[in-house]
Amino acid sequence: MRWLALIWKSLMRSKRRTLLIVGSLVLSVFTVAVLQSLLTTLNAVTNNPNSSNRLVVRHKSGLTQMLPRSYEAYLRQQPEVATVCALQWFGGYYQDPRNFFANFASDETTIFQIFREEFGTSGISEAQIKDYQRDGAGCIVGESLAKKNGWKVGDVVPLTGTIFPINPRLTIRLIYKSPKPSDENVLHFHYKVLEEGVPRMKGLSGSFWLRTRRPEDIPRLIERVDRHYANSAYETLTETENAFNLAFVKMLGNIGAIIQGITAAVVVAILIVTGNTMATAIRERTTEIAVFRAMGFSAGRVLTLLLAEGVLLVGVGGFLGVLLANLAAGGVRASLGSAMPFFADFAILPNTVLACMVGALAIGVLATFIPAYSATRRPITEGLKAVG
Amino acid sequence: MSSDRFDLGGGEPIITLRDIAKSYWREELEIPVLQGIDLEIPTGAYIALMGPSGSGKTTLLNLIAGIDRPTGGSLEVCEHELNDLDDDQLAAWRNAHVGFIFQNYNLVPVLNAFENVELPLLVSGAGRSERRDRVEQALTLVNLTDKMRNYPRQLSGGQEQRVAIARAIVTNPDLLVADEPTGALDAKNAEEVLGLIERLNTELGKTIVMVTHDPKAAHHAKHQIHLEKGVLDRTVEVNR
Ligand SMILES: Nc1ncnc2c1ncn2[C@@H]1O[C@H](COP(=O)(O)OP(=O)(O)OP(=O)(O)O)[C@@H](O)[C@H]1O
Ligand SMILES: [Mg+2]
Repeated sequence: MRWLALIWKSLMRSKRRTLLIVGSLVLSVFTVAVLQSLLTTLNAVTNNPNSSNRLVVRHKSGLTQMLPRSYEAYLRQQPEVATVCALQWFGGYYQDPRNFFANFASDETTIFQIFREEFGTSGISEAQIKDYQRDGAGCIVGESLAKKNGWKVGDVVPLTGTIFPINPRLTIRLIYKSPKPSDENVLHFHYKVLEEGVPRMKGLSGSFWLRTRRPEDIPRLIERVDRHYANSAYETLTETENAFNLAFVKMLGNIGAIIQGITAAVVVAILIVTGNTMATAIRERTTEIAVFRAMGFSAGRVLTLLLAEGVLLVGVGGFLGVLLANLAAGGVRASLGSAMPFFADFAILPNTVLACMVGALAIGVLATFIPAYSATRRPITEGLKAVG
Repeated sequence: MSSDRFDLGGGEPIITLRDIAKSYWREELEIPVLQGIDLEIPTGAYIALMGPSGSGKTTLLNLIAGIDRPTGGSLEVCEHELNDLDDDQLAAWRNAHVGFIFQNYNLVPVLNAFENVELPLLVSGAGRSERRDRVEQALTLVNLTDKMRNYPRQLSGGQEQRVAIARAIVTNPDLLVADEPTGALDAKNAEEVLGLIERLNTELGKTIVMVTHDPKAAHHAKHQIHLEKGVLDRTVEVNR
């Protein structure tokens, strides 16, 4: 028999109790891991490392208001600006309205520079880009979107407009791969399709995306652009991409506070449950602990053994909880990934796994230490007299 | 046979108690349990410690076995002044020198007979194969090698106590302490266990101190001594 066997057998003393406590740990760790990952995913939307050079210029009065495309010339003239791209949310669907994904009308020449990182431009050739740019009815799609719908290069994708009264038939000219899964659930087509098909969109665009040369230039540039168009017929609101996305996340309410509140409640509840269970389990072994000590186990050694039991218990529970959360994350990506782009990135990140495991172990140590310590402080003679 | 002398036979003392006292306090009130105990027990002795309920037998045995500390006096057991050892040293000392036999056997229910006997060896740090040899030896001695894989609930009371005895001797201690070892057994099993304890004394030379109420059990010991209200009776009965 090894130490680990001794610890394991002690834990298996009451299988039902051990199973119950492991079960509640699995559930708690699962809940916390999923909620925390949701928060991480949402935060990532507003913390895109690719976007440090990117700005969005839109109408001051909201996203439904348009800006004249003539603004592009002024924006391009600014020395800090490397690229400008007109971009309009099209909001179409393919075959079924529930089959929703992000699709945009955008400037086919500058789009590849603006979203260089997202398109993984190193993986696509100049010739493929040219193919798309030459075909006015062409489109580009991300690989996971293409896979989901069984699309190949050359296929025709009929889009049904919901905001705009056109149903463009687009030929896939390029399928790109992104480092981040959420960026693959996107379709872009030529801006001209929108401008020429929808008379009221002639010469207008919902937003301009800029790439600046250096991140340091951004505050100065924002200030200058918005001042330039102040008091004009189309006033602008220029902001970083992260600030722009934050506006969307904020529409969901203060999710962060809710998630942290639930997490705290779960942690406190599981600490009480585990502490109470360990206290009962240790109390039942009062005589046994005294016998161990009479045989020559020091108080410290008995304490270590009991702590090891607690740690093993929560270790197993925590591990299974995290494992389950990972399986669930796969399900979330598959089911919600295309509907809400950021869910395509939903994953239990190593940091969350680590935090959950450390948290579970801390709970195990804390919950076990108090009853175990007082049990090993008790005089041996008293323990031998106790019934149990 | 009775003798007036306080003499437990010759030989080097393995236990020396000098003016041992033990009291408990309850709300500032001192309750003396043992007073002025002077006693020398020679190596190889087999002593039955007798006395009425509440006379302090268990208390005295616990002091000798180093699981309790006196409130007065000093005691030297197995060549160690127990008052000089701290709690951890005392634990190590018990592991090396003392084997415990309890009235209720006190086997660990989730461990089988083999593992129960192996427990004290986990502390002494013996290697795996050495542990196996010693556990098998101890179980052979109590004649239970065929029940090695049985759990306590799969053993009779007598068998449980024999496993407990194997556990007590597996570290090869000099001293065995037994508190009412037959208290929970029927006459036949009691006889068997007492015969076994006697053999540990005569064949292996273990020094044994056994607390008992039962005169028949006490007769197995070489000497009987008596406690009365926490004071040692000067009379020693010599059985053999
Ligand atoms: N923790 C304690 N606090 C107060 N008094 C105690 C404590 N432990 C024992 N005593 C008292 O010490 C006295 C001796 O107890 P002990 O257990 O040694 O008696 P005993 O001779 O073994 O009796 P028995 O034959 O019934 O087992 C008793 O009067 C008991 O009430
Ligand atoms: Mg007693």
